[in-house]
Amino acid sequence: MLKRIFSILFVFSLMMVMPLQAAEFPTKEVQIIIPWAAGGATDLIFRALGATTGKYLGKAVVVVNKPGGAGTVGYTEAMKAQPDGYTLTSGITPLTILPHNVKTAFTYKDFEPVINVVSDPGMFLVRSDSPWKSLKEFLDYAKKNPDIITVGNSGAGGGVHLIALAFEKAAGVKFNHIPFAGGGPSVTALLGGHVNAVSVSPPEGIEHVKAGKLKIIALFSEKRFEMFPEVPTVKEQGVDFAMGQWRGLIAPKGTPPDVIKKLHDAFKKGMDDPVFQKNAKDMAVNLHYLGPEAFGKLMASDHELFGKLIKEMKK
Amino acid sequence: MNREEAIGGIVIFLFGVVTTFFSLKMPLGTFRMAGTGLFPLCLGVLLIVLSSLFLIKLYLQKKEGKHVITVQLPSSIKQLMLFLGAMLLATLFFNRLGYPLVAFLLMVSLLKILGMKRWRTVLPLSFITAIVCYFLFVQWLKIPLPRGWIGL
Amino acid sequence: MFESLQHLMTGFGIATTIHNLLYCLTGAIVGTLIGVLPGIGPIAGIALLIPATFGLNPTSAIIMLAGIYYGAMYGGSTTSILLNVPGETASVITCIDGYQMAQKGRAGPALATCAIGSFIAGTIGIFGLVFIAPPLAEAALAFGPPEYFSLMVFGFIVLSNVTGISLIKSLMMAVVGLIIGTIGLDPVTGDARFTFGSIYLLGGIEFVAVAIGLFGIGEVLINVEKPADLLEQRVLIPRLRELYPTLRDLKRSIGPILRGAGIGFGVGLVPGPAPVIATYSSYMIERKISKNPEEFGKGAIEGVAGPESANNSACQSAFIPLFVLGIPFAPPTAILLGALLIHGVSPGPLMISQHPELFWGVIASMYIGNFILLILNLPFVPLFANILRTPKKILLPLIILFCITGMFTVNNSVFDIWMMLLFGGVGFLMRKWAYEGAPLLLALVLGPKLEVAFRQSLMISHGDFGVFVNRPISMAFLLATAIFLIFPAIRLMFKKSKKGGI
Repeated sequence: MLKRIFSILFVFSLMMVMPLQAAEFPTKEVQIIIPWAAGGATDLIFRALGATTGKYLGKAVVVVNKPGGAGTVGYTEAMKAQPDGYTLTSGITPLTILPHNVKTAFTYKDFEPVINVVSDPGMFLVRSDSPWKSLKEFLDYAKKNPDIITVGNSGAGGGVHLIALAFEKAAGVKFNHIPFAGGGPSVTALLGGHVNAVSVSPPEGIEHVKAGKLKIIALFSEKRFEMFPEVPTVKEQGVDFAMGQWRGLIAPKGTPPDVIKKLHDAFKKGMDDPVFQKNAKDMAVNLHYLGPEAFGKLMASDHELFGKLIKEMKK
Repeated sequence: MNREEAIGGIVIFLFGVVTTFFSLKMPLGTFRMAGTGLFPLCLGVLLIVLSSLFLIKLYLQKKEGKHVITVQLPSSIKQLMLFLGAMLLATLFFNRLGYPLVAFLLMVSLLKILGMKRWRTVLPLSFITAIVCYFLFVQWLKIPLPRGWIGL
Repeated sequence: MFESLQHLMTGFGIATTIHNLLYCLTGAIVGTLIGVLPGIGPIAGIALLIPATFGLNPTSAIIMLAGIYYGAMYGGSTTSILLNVPGETASVITCIDGYQMAQKGRAGPALATCAIGSFIAGTIGIFGLVFIAPPLAEAALAFGPPEYFSLMVFGFIVLSNVTGISLIKSLMMAVVGLIIGTIGLDPVTGDARFTFGSIYLLGGIEFVAVAIGLFGIGEVLINVEKPADLLEQRVLIPRLRELYPTLRDLKRSIGPILRGAGIGFGVGLVPGPAPVIATYSSYMIERKISKNPEEFGKGAIEGVAGPESANNSACQSAFIPLFVLGIPFAPPTAILLGALLIHGVSPGPLMISQHPELFWGVIASMYIGNFILLILNLPFVPLFANILRTPKKILLPLIILFCITGMFTVNNSVFDIWMMLLFGGVGFLMRKWAYEGAPLLLALVLGPKLEVAFRQSLMISHGDFGVFVNRPISMAFLLATAIFLIFPAIRLMFKKSKKGGI
């Protein structure tokens, strides 16, 4: 009899323990959905981060590419994923742009911020032999000749295009924006002299700046660039403007806060790992840590800003 | 030959009309700032012109009596329809059933449709194919093919 | 020049160390396997294996990844020849005559010619890469939007009638391709176009879905529609001595191989869809200068040798803009750029001086890789050719399963499978009604670039059409296009007047 009671108690206690064990997140591998094709900057960064985070999380981090629809396919799928913390998504600037441009099922509000990893400042590049020696000359010329300076970007309605639009508003000038199919082609067109300037974010064009073929005429970051300490920001030169593109991790809405905290802590450790630090430096990306709360605020403010910009653009 | 080419020409003509119709619903803009619909509109019109020219040419050829008579092989529409149906069903249940099961069922049904009589050959052949594909794509290449309810 | 040669020797020294040779071999084998599977092309292959190279030193990593790239290019022609399934843009043309050769029991010679042609073209490509490339890469910068537009128009008009059946029918198919290419986000304004509310259509129609659908699935359906007893048949079984090309085959192929290598090398330097333009041009030229053009489309070995060589040498020269300018002109090189970045090497104007061991090592290993691929592939020829011994009623279901699986792997998307099946149906009807798929695919690749270049040009020029004729390169292409269109008309008039004279 005693045996039976014990066995019942044993089973009971097992049942008590079971949910506790289930709460021991994670019990299986964690997926990161990348809504873009493999090999792009976002893909590479999160592959590298996943590789270092695995050991802190205790389970492997795998990257799954779901390209298509300029990112909408991946985000739509990610939004519908189980909010259990096993499916994360790379949240990058276009997440706050796309919903204004096309009809999407999602906005940033359908996701919980986990961590921001990268923030690349926007900048304008011109050829080294261009007639403009400084930001002032560039803007003076633009003021006198509105709609004449051609500024290439990596795609209509994309991040750097909107940064260029926002900058022209802040500086009170008007450029002639030319969209290209990606950052590479726009830099090529600048090298060939087919456009006057390009709006990019690193690492695009950085190699050519190092080689002295291109120069940074306007830098939209808060602080100066580590790689080019002699280049002043536009803020220092009297144009109150700073803007960049961020890449972070987000989870579907409804993911439990303690799971998010666990994920955040693990990815933060992965970010601080010297291996990842070196990888990031090699890729010339600007690491910029933000916790869930600050990251959420950043997404919200960008969402609003881009909404306004696109409305004006479409008018 | 002639008649079939003409059917194709008519289908293409209609495609051009549909394209033109939907392009006109989009903003056209100017050449300085071409709108979304301008390029498709040009293409739609171009296609209508080309296919009209083509159909006229065919008509004239027919008048000249250049009609080519082709020998029609007896075809098996039923087999084709079943084959297509199996492919469509496989795609429809691709996510729900999971890759290995779909691969197996698809192989069984396609082999059966194409007239493999004996189950003794059909079943093992399909099974082996599904297993090989599973190991090749899922295990070795790590492609996130749907697991479905068998969870493989 | 001498200096380059010296560097190249150093490069060979680096590439022939045992472990680099092993990585090269691994890359070539994996690449060939990946290339043979439909769908998984070089892009997905490289991306899948990038994480595996994290622990290697940059040179070895790039040697291996580059091996996957050109290995996949080698392997890509295999399914085109055997099954009429083009895995990527470059092997569409190979389907036309390669598949016909296989149907006549000459799969062996077709496969072997591909391997030999690719090797010769690769060799020429490497030397070009070493000696004349760097200055040429700078010249490619002269191509701005107006030049692109004119180049695309030229390619579009001249190459759309690649098989030479009927110009008007080819142009019709090409325009259909252009229209399909407009589906998705408008590249200039970012608005949705012809998507009918579907998010899957926003990114446009996947090229591979159209290619596999029109060619592979369409062909399978044609076979299925035939009466059941025909399915009992097999393709003509190759006899053993017919597995490798005869001396006559080789003699016929050498000209196309050399011409193809030249064309491919030149085209590869220009940004844009190099493999497509290179293979189509090569096929077109071979058909034009051939003494028996009527054989083309029915299994002419020149139609396999030329385009395959052009493709391989275009792949080699695609490395030039990547290494010299740091700008990838094609998606596979874009992936390699990513891999280089993750290994701390930023390609660009400084790369050759900052990382000489990597640059020359990779170049030398490309040559060795080509050689490895040749000796790796020739023994495989009988094996692959024997696949066709399988009775059709077993082979056809296998092809379908491979196509469906392969299609999924491209974007991990079931929607793409639907698209592939849809275009399979279209391909079936096109075949029944005697329409060609090649012009449609060409237009699908060129179309979006054509439109963007056109609109960019006019945006830059503020709506002035003069931009297309005021610039010499652009003008030259437009003139050439005009001559091409007018020339047959003149010839026709000339012929008629002659007849009238009699």
